Amino acid sequence: MADDKDVLRDVWFGRIPTCFTLYQDEITEREAEPFYLLLPRVSYLTLVTDKVKKHFLKVMKAEDVEEMWFDFEGTPLKWHYPIGLLFDLHASNTALPWSITVHFKNFPERDLLHCPSNSVIEAHFMSSIKEADALKHKSQVINDMQKKDHKQLWMGLQNDKFDQFWAMNRKLMEYPTEEGGFRYIPFRIYLVNELMGIPRIHDSDEIPSKR
Amino acid sequence: MSDNAESPTETQKDEPSTPQQPTEDSGTADEKKKIDVLLKAVGDTPIMKTKKWSVEKGRTVQSLSQFISRFLKMEANEQLLYSSCDMSGLPLRPVSEFIYVNQSFSPSPDQEVGVLFECFGSDGKLVLHYCKSQAWG
Repeated sequence: MADDKDVLRDVWFGRIPTCFTLYQDEITEREAEPFYLLLPRVSYLTLVTDKVKKHFLKVMKAEDVEEMWFDFEGTPLKWHYPIGLLFDLHASNTALPWSITVHFKNFPERDLLHCPSNSVIEAHFMSSIKEADALKHKSQVINDMQKKDHKQLWMGLQNDKFDQFWAMNRKLMEYPTEEGGFRYIPFRIYLVNELMGIPRIHDSDEIPSKR
Repeated sequence: MSDNAESPTETQKDEPSTPQQPTEDSGTADEKKKIDVLLKAVGDTPIMKTKKWSVEKGRTVQSLSQFISRFLKMEANEQLLYSSCDMSGLPLRPVSEFIYVNQSFSPSPDQEVGVLFECFGSDGKLVLHYCKSQAWG
């Protein structure tokens, strides 16, 4: 694991240059300028776009603002997918910066989960970690960690603190062979299907492969 | 997210063939396959009279959660009709329950139960705990 530290850092600090443009039908008091941001691949859209919201709220009335959501070329972006995944799925063949459209109305209920607060993102993130550990260590490692350790994992991600995050995450990523190692290796495969020319994303989840 | 899929069917004890009800989209034969789900209540959450359900593999956790809520409200309403003056019988706005796997994590609402079954099922069924509030968050 120590040898992989460079790789781990490269993965953690991966960034996608993004241009946020307000949807043309949103009601504004004056012209809305696009907003540029470097998005962390390992994080979640709703966690890192407070600045985007603040920027566009400057030219909008409060009554015209509902829950913020994003689309890329007409496809609503699922905030609960990591940003790097969203980019790789939807826009890997397009030129940078990644052009995302920002909405404050007509939330697409059928396509997106609501995200009323950061605690929702935290709950989703921690559930993913627990789900993975259920497969790796029958949940023993995550359950042996204290609540403050769980909090440190989350805070590390939220505040972009590599060392803080990995101090805890390494416990989940260790597989001592004398203790049998990982029971199963969890991973998710996201497939982009073409059905009648319309790209469709199919999520086929953790396939347990016994080592 | 919301979807309007049909309700899960109860598992019959003598296993007669369940007639296929029409669905909104025509899935492949694979998607029509069902898995057995055992629902367990947590804490003082009402216990469903029927616990064993046959659920389509492609059904989402959120859809199942909404179904449980509606089902529980329906059971509560049945009691209300006999005991109070409230005869409206209208279902209350469904509130999603919290769903847990292995009594440890809450799967993503858009996760398909079929996939959960493959990863976490045992003895031919998927055991899910449901709760009105966060239990193992």
